[in-house]
Amino acid sequence: MTAHEKLSCWSEITLMTELRQRISYRQVRVVGALLILQGVGLMGLGVYFFGRIDWDRALVTSGQGQIYIQTIDEPLSEQLEQAALFAIFFLPSAVLLLLAGLSFLVLRRRGWLIATTAQSLILLVCLFAYPDPRPGFTYPLIAYCSLMVLYLNSRGVRAAFHSKEKPASSRSGTVHEA
Amino acid sequence: MRHEHPVDATNSAALLRSFEPVLRFTKGEWFYPMDVEPYVRSCSLWVQHPDEEAVCVVPQGKLTLETLGQQPLDSADAVHYLKIPAPEKSRRRGLWARLFPRHAAGGPDWPKETFRAGRGRLARVGYVSRLADALFSLALLLRGRVPGRGVEGARVMYGGLMEKEEHYQYHGRVVRQDGWIVLQYWLFYSFNDWRSNFFGANDHEADWEKVFVYLSESESGEILPEWVAYAAHEEAGDRLRRRWDDPELEKIDEHPVVYVCAGSHASRYFRGEYLTELEFPLPRSFARARKAVRLFWYRTLRQYAEKDPSELFTIPFVDYGRGDGLSVGPDQDREWDPPRLMEDPVPSWVSGYRGLWGLYTRDPFEGEDAPSGPMYDRDKTVSREWYDPVGWAGLDKVPTRAEELADILEQRSEIEERRDGLRAEILQKSRDLKRLGIAAEATRGRSHLRELHEAQRGRIAELSREVRGLREELSTEGVLSEALDDHANRLRNGERPPANAHIARAARPLPESEARTGRVAQLWASISVAVVLLTLTGILFYQRQHLLFALVFAIAVLAFVEAGFRKRLDKFMISANIGLSVVGAFVLLDRYFWQIIVLSVLAVGLYILWENLRELGR
Repeated sequence: MTAHEKLSCWSEITLMTELRQRISYRQVRVVGALLILQGVGLMGLGVYFFGRIDWDRALVTSGQGQIYIQTIDEPLSEQLEQAALFAIFFLPSAVLLLLAGLSFLVLRRRGWLIATTAQSLILLVCLFAYPDPRPGFTYPLIAYCSLMVLYLNSRGVRAAFHSKEKPASSRSGTVHEA
Repeated sequence: MRHEHPVDATNSAALLRSFEPVLRFTKGEWFYPMDVEPYVRSCSLWVQHPDEEAVCVVPQGKLTLETLGQQPLDSADAVHYLKIPAPEKSRRRGLWARLFPRHAAGGPDWPKETFRAGRGRLARVGYVSRLADALFSLALLLRGRVPGRGVEGARVMYGGLMEKEEHYQYHGRVVRQDGWIVLQYWLFYSFNDWRSNFFGANDHEADWEKVFVYLSESESGEILPEWVAYAAHEEAGDRLRRRWDDPELEKIDEHPVVYVCAGSHASRYFRGEYLTELEFPLPRSFARARKAVRLFWYRTLRQYAEKDPSELFTIPFVDYGRGDGLSVGPDQDREWDPPRLMEDPVPSWVSGYRGLWGLYTRDPFEGEDAPSGPMYDRDKTVSREWYDPVGWAGLDKVPTRAEELADILEQRSEIEERRDGLRAEILQKSRDLKRLGIAAEATRGRSHLRELHEAQRGRIAELSREVRGLREELSTEGVLSEALDDHANRLRNGERPPANAHIARAARPLPESEARTGRVAQLWASISVAVVLLTLTGILFYQRQHLLFALVFAIAVLAFVEAGFRKRLDKFMISANIGLSVVGAFVLLDRYFWQIIVLSVLAVGLYILWENLRELGR
């Protein structure tokens, strides 16, 4: 092999590596975007549950600024319970999802573990915390989480997050190692 | 028995002493290699007939090596065994005796050093293995086992002997087999206290271990050590042996160094702590199903998967081969006494006594039964180590260095002879084939010669196959001949294959990093099984209305903690996710079965349409 051939071979390898890194970086961003979408969706659902409660009927404010919950009728109480349970069950997961999504966008590989933990929590709650028949919103959540689990564990994504190689420099020019 | 010719005793003793091993023990070891004579003198001989009470046939103090081989009251199913005398009953009882049995029992001040376990074995394995370990311990209550006082009896007996005068001795035998001179160092310990004192798998009275050194003799009569094999548990074959010039084989002058594991007396090549696993194969149907699921997961779904896990279920035990205790051997802390020879003729205590060398507990797995002597297995058949020491270490396929080159040249000349024969045969058959071809051309298309033509075609096909086979054989033989030639040249140049090329999976001590886990992790490992059981019981009693959720949540939390301690959070999370996703998929299927079917069909239809339209657009 001549020196020229060696040189061209080397540049091909460099090109391939860069291409692979660019592809893996794109995958990381896609995962990040999907996680943020999921987190925002959960937050939106929470806002919806809390938004449909008639707070004027639920709360009575005294003169000293203290809030008291008065006795309320059953439909309102159900709505309150549903909103409270939703916040308890999904708020931590939503925060984790947003954190993971944002960290993916700036390429912190540790986000992978946070993302999988959030998926676990959501699935755990949807499958076991709600009695059968489950509320309608749990089914799309289960479906989305299952697909995200498959995507997060796909060989390409795992390689992008767990490779020892540093990904190609992003637009911000920073590369973060876990 | 194969080619066995014991060399004369004077030479045997000298040979044995030239290569005798250096044994390095773990601090806190109770029992060291000893001569069988004082042991036998201290024991009584018993015989067990089926469905009968065991009978003492020679009481303690009356037994000698000469009388041992007589085996009185022998019958088809009789089991003879020796029994170490029980220690005298302690004057101190109650809590004191339970906490400090050694001091309570009195007797000799032995051993001199105390063992410290360090990081427990349970911290090195997962829940399932810990649970299996608990079941294994429970099973010991049902199986036959050496009673707790057994080890104490052995301590008093052995400690008494060592207090009078310390002796360290092996039993030697020299065998010639297949060009090898095998030096057999048989090490006898009065007790295997692996379970009692070192958290191991078993205890048994008496323990026979061995180290073999394999020598070759050149035509000029020069004797060279070539291989060494250390016995460890029931292992056999290639992995036992190491080449003499292997840089990993530790030697002091011409004496191989053996790291003896505490209690089990397994012999190891490296200093350290070994994870010895009791292996239980998974049921075949279960293993097949798991393999199918893994294939679907990895190939069809293109998912990430760890390399194929073991097909065995294991319970781990730690073998402590630290080498930080007493060292026995030439120029060491203690020197060997002259060996007791077991040859010319083979003494009656070796060949005549087919019984066990310690208590017969009737353990169905035999782990707690004492071993039989060097010549026999427990079933009274002659042991392989005795009649085929070369094959036992997988050396039956390896020539000595002196024979190696001559063997290659002989093989090469045989191959060349075969190749000449093949060439001649090919020439003849090729000629026949061509003639047949011409004849078949001549008979083609003639109706009255149709049958002849068919027969010719059949014969052509057959002959063609034969010639092809012969050419293939010729080519293979040629390649083999070249490879042998290369190998011979390398040997002539003094090159040798890698010293550890024959070892597929060497037993190595656990890495240092595994021993650095903190005390909290160890504590967790010790209490985790109990915590799991208590938590599950608590949920069953107090959370029946939310049973499923509480159970799943509790198991998930405990498993999460466990995975964190074992630095396997990634693996745990993905396993949990996959499990939950599978359940989720079933829930979705159950709820939206027809919708999913319709959507799937629609998706397939759209995909086909898209593909066809793309083709049209090109």
